[in-house]
Amino acid sequence: MIEVSHLTKKYGSRLAVDDISFTVEDGVIYGLLGPNGAGKSTIMNILTGYLAATEGQVTVAGHPLPEEADAAKACVGYLPEQPPLYPEMTVAEYLDFAAELKGVKKADRSAQVQSAARRTGLEDVLPRLIRSLSKGYRQRVGVAQALLGSPQLIILDEPTVGLDPAQVIELRRLIRELGRTHTVILSSHILSEVKAVCDKALILSQGHLAAVVDLAAEERDLEELFLELTALEETSDKKED
Amino acid sequence: MLAIYKRELRSFFHGMMGYVLTAFLLAASGIYFLALNLGYGLTDFGYYTLYRTIFMLLLYFPVLAMRSLAEERRARTDQLLLTSPVSVWGIVVGKYLALCTVFALPCLADGVMIVVLWLLGGTASACGANFAALLCYFLLGCAAIAVCEFCSGLTENQIIAAVMGFSALLLAYMMPSLRSMFNAGSAVALVVFTALSAGASLAVGLRTRSFTLGCFCFAALCAGLSALFLLRSAWLTEAFSAVLSALCLFAPFEEFVNNSFSIPTLVYYLTVTVLFLFFTAQGIEKRRWN
Repeated sequence: MIEVSHLTKKYGSRLAVDDISFTVEDGVIYGLLGPNGAGKSTIMNILTGYLAATEGQVTVAGHPLPEEADAAKACVGYLPEQPPLYPEMTVAEYLDFAAELKGVKKADRSAQVQSAARRTGLEDVLPRLIRSLSKGYRQRVGVAQALLGSPQLIILDEPTVGLDPAQVIELRRLIRELGRTHTVILSSHILSEVKAVCDKALILSQGHLAAVVDLAAEERDLEELFLELTALEETSDKKED
Repeated sequence: MLAIYKRELRSFFHGMMGYVLTAFLLAASGIYFLALNLGYGLTDFGYYTLYRTIFMLLLYFPVLAMRSLAEERRARTDQLLLTSPVSVWGIVVGKYLALCTVFALPCLADGVMIVVLWLLGGTASACGANFAALLCYFLLGCAAIAVCEFCSGLTENQIIAAVMGFSALLLAYMMPSLRSMFNAGSAVALVVFTALSAGASLAVGLRTRSFTLGCFCFAALCAGLSALFLLRSAWLTEAFSAVLSALCLFAPFEEFVNNSFSIPTLVYYLTVTVLFLFFTAQGIEKRRWN
């Protein structure tokens, strides 16, 4: 589904992602795991075509970026860290707009909006202004937006931040359900969440890819592994200094 | 693109913004129409109403366009737009057309005023001239909207975008008088053109990410300018004054309403529009690469 080779991203002189290569297989739920500032959001922004890579090749669903960006973007549904919402619109208006933006045909639009709203539990708030919604509902509107246009790949950047425990459980159930029909990538720094939802984990540390872990086959504790991998990088960096 | 156009247009009339701006411009042209065209029986709508109220546009356009791109960036909704299968051009043009549509509303009301003048006994030729002036006024507006949208794309702060747009339009408005101060010899022109070529070479260097190419570009431009300075220094001063006159955004409209219908004026406004929309798209594109 996604092939990334030797991906590097610099913000000015600061290196955010350093020579990362990995492959994402179809129909698997991936967790992008790493401490703050490890480059999770940057990688997601590059995969969705929001940012351009400094070096390296990225291919999404067979379309190389940035050459076939429009075709690649049509295959991806994306929930950024901060849900991209227009507070002056109602939920229904917003989802309708997002569907049109993603090129959903007029005849299918209302059916798709209804089904996305049903899956994310938004049916009751469709006529309400986004301005008046709570943080949890706004997050769900962001997820619903990512489902529109029936993308093959869904990328969610910290989807459970700011939700109450019941909503977290509900959203995890939704992600697992999506995993049956879509390829999903989600980022998180909550280890238990990744363990509960994902099939595989990509562990990042300071812009490097520290490990790709198959969570079903891995016998060691994820927490131990994570601390070991991220601490290793830090000590080796200190030695270099 | 259509989705972006519709959303942008609707957002103006969700709040007060669209109504207030339209009322603001209509109040100005309404007062001048009433006092001059109706009060004194002058049939020249282009000069007495449109041209006399042109200073209102200096405030109208920056406020109209300040939100368009800056607000998207501040609220991070640009992530939705830029990760959708819509090109950057589609986003820029969709927003631009929505702004032009909002500006078309007071222009339509102006059209009604012209028809009223005709019904009150204006000649058909005066009516035609008035409509031509209105067309030029609208195109002038479209060019100014492109300039202000470009300013909005430079920042995430609406106020800064509005101040930048206002400054740019004010400079263009005052350029005809400022020009007389720069009645320069060829040496000043040489300095200004060298500075311009340094800027252009820097842009080329950054765009291609090649320091050498930027240096070569600068060297070539400097050599060309030096040759011109030594051989044909009059060309430099002429070109300098041509550049200054191209910055006078409002001056062609003044000539236009003084009963000289000219196609080059309309082409000039369309060129400014295309140029600034191109800059806007390039500005967005550049931010993704840095």
